[in-house]
Amino acid sequence: MKRRVGELSSERLASILLLPSILIVVCVVIGPLVFAFYLSFYAAEPVIGGISTKFVGFSNYLHYFFKDPLFWSAVRVTTYFTVVSLVLELILGIGMALVLNKRFIGRPFVRSIMLLPWALPTVVNARMWEWIYAGSSFGALNGLMKVLHIFPADYDVVWLGFGVPFQNIPLVGKFMEWVGASTALHMIILADTWKVTPLVTLLVLAALQPIPDSYYEAAGIDGANAWSQFWYITFPLLRPVLLVVLVLRTMELFRVFDIIYILMQYSIRVMGVYTFETGMKFLHFGRGSALSFLVGLFILGIALIYVKLLHSEEVY
Amino acid sequence: MVIREGKAKKYVSRVILYGLVIIIVIWTLAPFSWLFVSGLFPYKELLSDRTTSWFPKNPTIKNFQAMFDMSSHIGQRFIYALRNSLIVAGSVTVICLIFGTLAAYALARLKFPFKNNIVMSLIAIRMLPTIALVIPFFVIIRTLDYHLIQTNINFNFYNTKINLIILYIAFILGFVIWIMRGFFLTIPHELEEAARIDGCTRLQALWRVILPLSAPGLVATGIFTFLLAWDEFVLALVFTKTTNAITLPVYIVSLGSQYIHAYDQIAASGFIAALPPVILALLFQKFLVKGLMAGSIKG
Repeated sequence: MKRRVGELSSERLASILLLPSILIVVCVVIGPLVFAFYLSFYAAEPVIGGISTKFVGFSNYLHYFFKDPLFWSAVRVTTYFTVVSLVLELILGIGMALVLNKRFIGRPFVRSIMLLPWALPTVVNARMWEWIYAGSSFGALNGLMKVLHIFPADYDVVWLGFGVPFQNIPLVGKFMEWVGASTALHMIILADTWKVTPLVTLLVLAALQPIPDSYYEAAGIDGANAWSQFWYITFPLLRPVLLVVLVLRTMELFRVFDIIYILMQYSIRVMGVYTFETGMKFLHFGRGSALSFLVGLFILGIALIYVKLLHSEEVY
Repeated sequence: MVIREGKAKKYVSRVILYGLVIIIVIWTLAPFSWLFVSGLFPYKELLSDRTTSWFPKNPTIKNFQAMFDMSSHIGQRFIYALRNSLIVAGSVTVICLIFGTLAAYALARLKFPFKNNIVMSLIAIRMLPTIALVIPFFVIIRTLDYHLIQTNINFNFYNTKINLIILYIAFILGFVIWIMRGFFLTIPHELEEAARIDGCTRLQALWRVILPLSAPGLVATGIFTFLLAWDEFVLALVFTKTTNAITLPVYIVSLGSQYIHAYDQIAASGFIAALPPVILALLFQKFLVKGLMAGSIKG
């Protein structure tokens, strides 16, 4: 398209439109990030009116890699949290979407309530589940177990406890101990999964709807059972949306902070909590910054792996 | 025989389907309904055995009323937190939508150097955890405030809504640009070119053709932005302290500690805090689902 006399050139217009956003991003995102990167090479502690800095080179980073056992336990527990949550969210999300894709009375209503957990503020979700998991006669989950006669009347589980499940199974118990997968962690995974799965369901549902019934009818005539229909028709068509969900959710899960901090404070040290503790509780700004960049690096690494997968699939 | 067998099979599969649907509905609604019902318990009953009585014998809306009682300390703190949350989330939404839409249009439609670099850096920024920004923010604002006090200017950043608004824009704007760019890419070039042939300038074409067509996208993006700002916790936790700036998440978290939980207030304020985002989501659900798809897949 040729431009008219007096009209701005494409570059000029672009620079005007982008200017406010770029100014904001440079001043309040890139600037602070560069500063944090600088801090990560210093031992930085607060003093009156500012910070004291002492150059330490890479030792903040090296400290985490070689000296700090807490760092590796944070990596393990965060990875466990991420993987288990992802698997649950995907299985439940796809399952629920397959059910809601069928025709039944009240389908619009059921679909719209899917938005409720998603819209619920994280903090409200955390407090709500904390209460559900509460001990004695007070918590809904213990109460429900008693009503259903799964638990005897005088028996209570400390849902948000530090005990590690599956201790009587030889290898699994050791593994759970090693990653720090306490009962509390599993219950938090459940609470978080409750909130996020409906989003996965809605995304998968949106991808399911354009698949014509004739595909399944043809497969049915050819004698394909439900499982092979899912595996050979539905799943390949869902791949793009599943990869998006995978990338987005992994990013979010790996940097989890809110729900774990609210329910357990510093007692389950996932990467987010450990960074916050280092930087904002002990005020080691240098170490904290180094740690937050390591978290970013991990996420970038995972994202790159996914992008590789995405591209190799596009070749087909 | 074959027909009857088919009918029976169909009947069984219907029963299974409805069974699954009921399980999904209960699973989705039960926790939040339980929170609401708990808010209806009088405080005394709340503390007694609740497993035998799932519903209150003497339901009351006192807990909810108490949140809006300006004469009490509880009510005051809650109302200020609610007001702060509305102001902060509202301002962030408006500012992000205006600047983000303009930038997104440029990134989707115009040709200029370094365009791909800008798009790539937007993605890279999204990878970093919020906590990576909290530490430098904290150091910068602490130092700034110290110098502001020295110069006798009666203003500081810590514990103000302005500060919170700036910080929220920082971590949400990139997301808005990203989603809106996705929407603009879905609108065919030809429409814009037709408008330009009819004598519109680029900005007129944006205003008269592109924006009306991307209204669903704007609504969806606006709601996402509002939800993100309404939901944000870490920055508010670090940078606010009193009723001058605390937001609802900080208020709700402050209701429980290791030793004591104000369950009546948790139930009531949690329910009220959930209302604005839940209502917005339900009202605009059609746009939202489309927006979720376009925002996450196109781009």
